Amino acid sequence: MPKLLIDVIDDVGNCLLFVREVMFTALTSPCSFASICEQIWTVTLQSLPTTALAGFFVGAIMTVQFTLQITTFGALGYLGGLSTSGTVREVGPLLIAFLLSGKVGAFTSAELGTMQVTEQIDAIRCLGANPIQEIILPRYLGIIISSFFLLAVGLVMSIFGGMLLGLVFSGINPEEYVRHIPTIVNKFSVANGMFKCLVFAFLLASICTYKGYSARGGAKGVGRAVVSTAVLTMVGIVVFDWLTSLITDTAMNVVLGNS
Amino acid sequence: MIDFKNIRKSFGEREVLKGITFSVPEGQILFILGTSGTGKSVLLKTIVGLLKPSSGEVFINDREISCLSEREMFPVRRMCGMVFQQPALFDSLSIFENVAFGLRKHQPELDHAQLSARVKECLALVNLSGIEDKLPQAISYGMQKRVSLARTVAVSPRILLFDEPTTGLDPVTTNSINHLILELSRKLKTTSLVVSHDMQCALDIADHILVLDKGEIVAQGPPQTLKQSTHPLVQDFLREALNAETAH
Repeated sequence: MPKLLIDVIDDVGNCLLFVREVMFTALTSPCSFASICEQIWTVTLQSLPTTALAGFFVGAIMTVQFTLQITTFGALGYLGGLSTSGTVREVGPLLIAFLLSGKVGAFTSAELGTMQVTEQIDAIRCLGANPIQEIILPRYLGIIISSFFLLAVGLVMSIFGGMLLGLVFSGINPEEYVRHIPTIVNKFSVANGMFKCLVFAFLLASICTYKGYSARGGAKGVGRAVVSTAVLTMVGIVVFDWLTSLITDTAMNVVLGNS
Repeated sequence: MIDFKNIRKSFGEREVLKGITFSVPEGQILFILGTSGTGKSVLLKTIVGLLKPSSGEVFINDREISCLSEREMFPVRRMCGMVFQQPALFDSLSIFENVAFGLRKHQPELDHAQLSARVKECLALVNLSGIEDKLPQAISYGMQKRVSLARTVAVSPRILLFDEPTTGLDPVTTNSINHLILELSRKLKTTSLVVSHDMQCALDIADHILVLDKGEIVAQGPPQTLKQSTHPLVQDFLREALNAETAH
């Protein structure tokens, strides 16, 4: 078997063992509520401006794209619903995940990697504390919980952006824009978006904390950890996007088929 | 009492420790000397389970600890205090929080006043006072090393481990750290293991010296005995110590 393949399998296996340890720690010796809140605050603050800005423009882009398509069918009234549905189901969670990957993922990986190579993590262990409980778990949960806040902000901003562009570009007034949103964006769309958001956040938190925690070899090792975090999360998000789309579509067909 | 029995450690193909056996009686200061890459730090890290030996056993007070899992090691580590080669201070926490970190874990019953008093006491032990509110990056490297020492002794360990505690320090700070090691070890009645390159310091304060070369013990004994050693590496160290003393 080629060495590269063995290394990949080894890395995936170690990452899964690491996640299992994080889960076990979360259940048996959870971290303090204050430390989780601190991480939520940090992650949210780090990504809020970019998420809001990106959300606004995603809504705007969706509106422009859908306008070109649905004008042909004379269904411009559904512009807000279609645009928002696309954002809630797909683009929103994907966008949040990419933004978090670039900002929070890289930051967390670098921070933990630096702690590892400067022996701070060993110092925690030597002081009789569990580093998973002290530094990994708060960051892990912080990333997952904040991604939902950021998703909400991103979605609100995308509706706002879409509404504004709808008014300017297509001449649809805001009332008309939001009127069909509840018709097209149903509870399945929201559940679908939240499920994707959860999966992506879980994936990102796992990769960036694992890569940072397992960094070795000084500054170069930290650099390697950050790069592999960026690459793996991007690839992982795309792969899991396909997988979650498959799962949610199948689940929706089953539920709708039975009802 | 710490016992090492036939400790071997390999990293891939490279065998770093090749069957190390020795004991450290309670209350003694043991210096482990050797050139870089001879496995001194690896040996020290096997005591606190930061590294597991490939084979062999480590005993602390007749309890084998080399076979313990990460979770089982937590109580063992509470007996030990380790000062790392780098200060390894938590850079997002103030000096106060750094020193209080272990105390919060070991003695959660302490209220803020007691905690504060203990932190100040430990900082005073290393001749640092009034820097509690500063961040690690706001003080010098030598001071960071001393804070690291204060953080370690705050939890009253019975075993103190020093991994090249004076690396990268000027001669004056090196001297003060070396005297702190002696003072703390005597005052707190701890068993101390010091990994170092500094033969002069070892001759001054160690009860027992062990010299490692290429993963093997090449000489050991009390300072006076070691001075008689004919091993070339020991001779090199002694010559270097003599030169340093002459230079001063």
